[in-house]
Amino acid sequence: MTEEAEHAIHVERLTKRYGDLLAVNDMSFTVRKGEVFAFLGPNGAGKTTAVEIIETIRTPTSGKVSLLDMDVTKKKHKIVRRIGVLPQGFSSFDRITVRETIQYYSRLFSCRDSDIDGLIELANLADKSKEQFKNLSGGLRQRLGIAIALVNNPEVVFLDEPTTGLDPRARREVWDVLLGLKKKGKTVFLTTHYMEEAELLADTVAIIAKGSIVAMGSPMALIENNANYLVLTLQSVHETVFGIVRKMGFEPAHTTHNNIMVRVEHQDDVRNVLNAIKDAGASFLSLDVRKPNLEEVFLKLTGAALREDLADEVAQ
Amino acid sequence: MSLRVIVANLIVSIKSFYREKTAVFFTIAFPVLLILVFGTIFMNQDDVRFDFRVQDLDQTHLSAELVRTLELNEKFTITKVDPAINATQYARNNKLNLVVVIPKDFEISLIGRMTRNDLNASVTITYIYDPSSTSVSTKMQILNSVFAEMNQRMSGKPPFITPAEVSILNRNYRFIDFFVPGIIAMTVMTASLFGAVSVNAELRQKGVIRKLSTTPITHTDWILSNVLYQFLLSVLSTILILLVSYGVFNVSLQMSVWLPVFVVLDVFAFVGIGMILTRVAKEAESATAAANAIMFPMMFLSGTFFPVEMMPGFLQKFSRILPLYYVNEGLRASMIFGDNMIALRCSVIIGIFAAVVFVLGMMTTKWEEG
Repeated sequence: MTEEAEHAIHVERLTKRYGDLLAVNDMSFTVRKGEVFAFLGPNGAGKTTAVEIIETIRTPTSGKVSLLDMDVTKKKHKIVRRIGVLPQGFSSFDRITVRETIQYYSRLFSCRDSDIDGLIELANLADKSKEQFKNLSGGLRQRLGIAIALVNNPEVVFLDEPTTGLDPRARREVWDVLLGLKKKGKTVFLTTHYMEEAELLADTVAIIAKGSIVAMGSPMALIENNANYLVLTLQSVHETVFGIVRKMGFEPAHTTHNNIMVRVEHQDDVRNVLNAIKDAGASFLSLDVRKPNLEEVFLKLTGAALREDLADEVAQ
Repeated sequence: MSLRVIVANLIVSIKSFYREKTAVFFTIAFPVLLILVFGTIFMNQDDVRFDFRVQDLDQTHLSAELVRTLELNEKFTITKVDPAINATQYARNNKLNLVVVIPKDFEISLIGRMTRNDLNASVTITYIYDPSSTSVSTKMQILNSVFAEMNQRMSGKPPFITPAEVSILNRNYRFIDFFVPGIIAMTVMTASLFGAVSVNAELRQKGVIRKLSTTPITHTDWILSNVLYQFLLSVLSTILILLVSYGVFNVSLQMSVWLPVFVVLDVFAFVGIGMILTRVAKEAESATAAANAIMFPMMFLSGTFFPVEMMPGFLQKFSRILPLYYVNEGLRASMIFGDNMIALRCSVIIGIFAAVVFVLGMMTTKWEEG
């Protein structure tokens, strides 16, 4: 198999300008067939602009984008038949039911063999199939959007912020659907600002900031390469513990008023901290040692948090 | 262009339409209600009767004859007022717009004139009236003509000028006959203009158009299916308007090929304007406001509800630059007067306008983002 044939998407020096604003800055990457590729970055980083150029919705200022070996600026009509797209903030016709909406998009693709029931089942919408779009919750709408994105049995599926604005339960329901796609071996291009979503679903993650890719690799590799430390969290600690840890040369931080978080280099450091607390006769209720996550990798690489609500927590 | 795609779009549009009760009301029921209301109001305008009070202060045989003569006029409904009361106060208290007062010496003066040919013998009939009333001047004008005719007969000479009426129409047409073509033109305009604005602005704002742009549906498929949908709605509402007009008011209109021609041109013209508005006004709300700003002058100044000739000169000139004027004129020329030449002239004007705005609309409506 040639390298070209293995790649679903090939992007070379992609740039998009809006006047003085540089939305996408010299981006290059490839997406292998069958992998789940995620753009991870905060709102306004340029994720959607880049992905909409690949989806043929927008035109690039410069650079080359090839999707399934076709130039996206020249072969739109052929490309759209082979891809499925869940756009950001997906919406549909208010008074059309779930089943009718899927049937409508199936007709647009002239798919005589669309398995409408199968798609409804896949998106877990069987009991809502007669519900009109305007009556669906945010999570149900996103699941319908995913079902529609699959109506033409696409080779590449683009999901732009599929869980934004959803409550945790609805988000997990959408993740279940996405895990189903992953099992089926679909090439999935995901954009998200939820690091847990990227970590759970993606084979390859590209961290985006200010229109550029700042790091790319598997979630594990990104963490290994960019955040080689452990995070020790001590809960319900005695008030003296903060000073004890600080005296040892670490920089503890309060996550809540009596919980502290400490970055340590090695497992031995964990043991040393625990021994020092024990020797001082201080106490704590429980402890947690974990590797850093993509959120912390992102913070280290860009100096900014992925989401504003996590900014304070991560900064600590 | 794909017929399958156009049909799919059409099905979605029709389902969305009949599930939206407000749209059904304004597209179908509202014009029918307009026909029913205005038709009922103006149905008997030729048989309108004017009511007023008469106070006979003379209370003689000849004054009673005068009242009887007025009563015989089929335009008047007369109620007699007690001669003992103050007529002005009575009119004020009862909010009457006209009380006709026959003076006390009516019989003596009339006998003087008839028997002695005394030219100084005359009477003054007093109109006690409310000048703020809109109908009172018509009542007084009709009374004046009745009294003028009496005076002329009393002179014993035949009239020198006698008017004769010859209608240019084959039969007498009523207001409702004039009204129905205007309502058809207005209904088609409203549905097409707001349909185009709703389809293009609201769906674009919601992101539906962005999703559609990642499917095989083409820009042309989309626009054609929407025009077809607007045309079907227009045909439906036109048929309903005509059924009610014939069924309830027994209108007398000529059906010809001009009716579908003007409906099609009306659809293309206002879908085109709607598409351009959508491009100029980015938000759905501002596009709707702009559509309203276009629709209302069009509705009231292009002869939909009343003839343009009733308006001041400068407004008449203005009305002639409104596209709906030519739809109204064309439909009336064909449906009332059977005048193919005027219908042809109007269809050419509105046809050129429709072609220009529709092509401009197609060119300005873009799916791809920048």
